[in-house]
Amino acid sequence: MTAEDRRRAIVTGASQGLGELLAQFLGDEHYELLLTARRREPLERVAERLRRRGAAVEVLPGDVTDAAHRRAVAERLGPAGRLDLLVNNASELGPSPLRPLTELPLESFRRILEVNVVAPLALIQELAPALARGHGRVVNITSDAAIEGYAGWGGYGASKAALDLVSRTLAGELRTAGISVVSVDPGDLRTAMHQAAYPGQDISDRPLPEVTVPFWAWLLHRDPAAVTGRRYRAQSDRWEVAG
Amino acid sequence: MSTRVATARPSAPALADRSPESRGRQRDEVRLLVSATTGERDLSFRSLPDLLAPGDLLVVNESATLPASLPAVGPIGEFRLHLATEFGDGLWLTEPRWSPARPGPLPLADGTAIAAGGVPATVVARYPGIARLAFVRFEGDVPAAMSIYGEPIRYGYLRVPEPLERYQTVFARVPGSAEMPSAGRPFSTRILEAARRRGIGIASVVLHAGVSSLEPGDIVTGAPPLLPEPYAVPAATVEAIARTRRAGGRVIAVGTTVVRALESAHDGCSLRPSRGFSRRYVSPAQPPVVADGLISGLHAEGTTHLDLLDAFLGRAARERAYAHARAAGYLWHEFGDVHLSFRPARA
Repeated sequence: MTAEDRRRAIVTGASQGLGELLAQFLGDEHYELLLTARRREPLERVAERLRRRGAAVEVLPGDVTDAAHRRAVAERLGPAGRLDLLVNNASELGPSPLRPLTELPLESFRRILEVNVVAPLALIQELAPALARGHGRVVNITSDAAIEGYAGWGGYGASKAALDLVSRTLAGELRTAGISVVSVDPGDLRTAMHQAAYPGQDISDRPLPEVTVPFWAWLLHRDPAAVTGRRYRAQSDRWEVAG
Repeated sequence: MSTRVATARPSAPALADRSPESRGRQRDEVRLLVSATTGERDLSFRSLPDLLAPGDLLVVNESATLPASLPAVGPIGEFRLHLATEFGDGLWLTEPRWSPARPGPLPLADGTAIAAGGVPATVVARYPGIARLAFVRFEGDVPAAMSIYGEPIRYGYLRVPEPLERYQTVFARVPGSAEMPSAGRPFSTRILEAARRRGIGIASVVLHAGVSSLEPGDIVTGAPPLLPEPYAVPAATVEAIARTRRAGGRVIAVGTTVVRALESAHDGCSLRPSRGFSRRYVSPAQPPVVADGLISGLHAEGTTHLDLLDAFLGRAARERAYAHARAAGYLWHEFGDVHLSFRPARA
C-alpha cells in the first residue's frame, strides 16, 4: 500500500481518554492520522507512543473553537486533499464540579456550545470538500446526557442533544455528496472528563475506553450508507444497520 | 423459597464424542428430551413433527459453518488461528491458540505481523477484557485461504475428526459461523417433509455464531460475557411470526442462536425486521419474549446457553430436565441429543 492509498483520519481531543484510544485504534488500522488537542505536550506524547506502534501521525495543537486553527487543519490536507474520517471528539464539560442549570454561568454555557456544537459543525464545513473527495465518514461523539436530563449535566447534555440533531440533519444533507455522519455515545468511561464531573469520587467501576474497541471495529467496517444518520451506543448490546 | 433435593454436584454428563453418522446412524437418529410441567418424556427426534401442532412455526438459523481454524505462523512459531467473527474488510475477531486442544493467550503484541492460511495479517488490538481474543487484519483472500487450509473448529472431546459437511445443518445457506448452530443439526429432509405435511411452517433468521469457548474469567466489566455476532431477522420472518400468533400457533426457536436473533430484533414493544451485530444476553434477568418453544442441544454447566435455558424454562424445571437427561444417558454437545421445551404460559 503506498502513501497515496492510505486512508486519512482526523481526531480532535486526541491527547487523552477516548480520543487517544480512537487514535491508537485507527493507527493500528493503518489510517494516516492528524491529531489535534489544545495542549501540545500530551498530544506529542500520544503521537510518539503511536509512532512506536508503527502509525503515521501528525499533530496540530490548537483549540477547535479557533477559526484559524480549523483553517490550519484543513490546509494540512492540501488543496485537493482527501479525508476518509473526521472524529469530532473534543468536548467541553463545563464547570467541575457540575452545577445545576440555574447556577450555570452563561459564559460557561456559551463555551460548552462553542466547543461541542459550533466547532464540530465549523470543522465539517471546513473539511466538507475533502470529505466528499474521500467519500468520508464523520463521527460526532455524543452522550446519554443528551437524552436523559441528568441533574448537573444540563449544559453539556443540551449541547450534545444539539450535536445529535446536527448529525442527523447533516446525514440527510450530505448523502448525495457521499459523506456519512453518525453520532456515537461511548457510554460511561473511566476518563479525565468523567472524573471532572465527579471530582474526588471513585470512578474505578467505569470501564476504560478500550471497552469501545469492538464497536469501532464494527462501525468503521460497515457500509457508510447503512449507518449514516444513526445514533449508536458503543456499549449497548446491539448495533443495528439500515435495510 | 424453592426446595432443592440434590445438593451434590451434578454427575458428569455423557459427551457425544462423534456424530450419529460416525456411529452408523442418520443425522435425525438422536434422542429428543421433551420437558413438560408434568415431567420429562424420552422420545426420538424423528417424532418431532407429531409433537408440534398444525399452525406452529419453526424458526431456524441459516448460518453455515466455516472451516474457521487456520494454521498460522508468527514470531512465536506455529500456532492455530480460529476466526470467530468477520467485522468486514478483512478485519476478523480471532482466537489464537497453541493447538486445537491448547488455548491461549498467546504472546502476540498489537502490530505483530503473522500469516494464517498463507495470508499475511497484522494483530490490530486485543479484545477488551479477554486477552485470548484479538482483532486481526488480513491482506488477502480469507475465504479462499479457509477453503484450502481451513478446518472446522474442533474441541478435545471428539474421538473422530469429523469433516466440515458434518458441521453443516440442512438449513445452512449463508456461510459465517465459526461454530455450528447445532440445534438444527438433527433436522433432515424427511423430518422437514413430515413437518410440512403436518402444516408446520418454517421461517429463518441468520446469526453467525462466533467462538463459544468463553470462560467465567472472561466477563468484561459491566458487560455480559457474550461477543458481538452478526444477525439478520428478515421482514418475511417477522410477518410469519405475526401470522402464527394471530392464528394461535406457537413459535419454536431452533437453537439458542435463533432466540438471541429474535430478541435482538425485538425493541421492547414489537418484533421488527432488523440487521446488525448483537451480544444480547438472554438470562432470567432479561427473559426472552418472542419464541414460545425452544429446541436446543444439551449445554455444559456455567455457560451463557444455560442462562438462556433457565430464562426460558425456569431454573428449577431446567435443572430437573438436566438431572433426568444425565441419569438417562443423553449425549451432550454439538453432535449429541436435543431437548424440546416450552416457555411457561404467560399470565
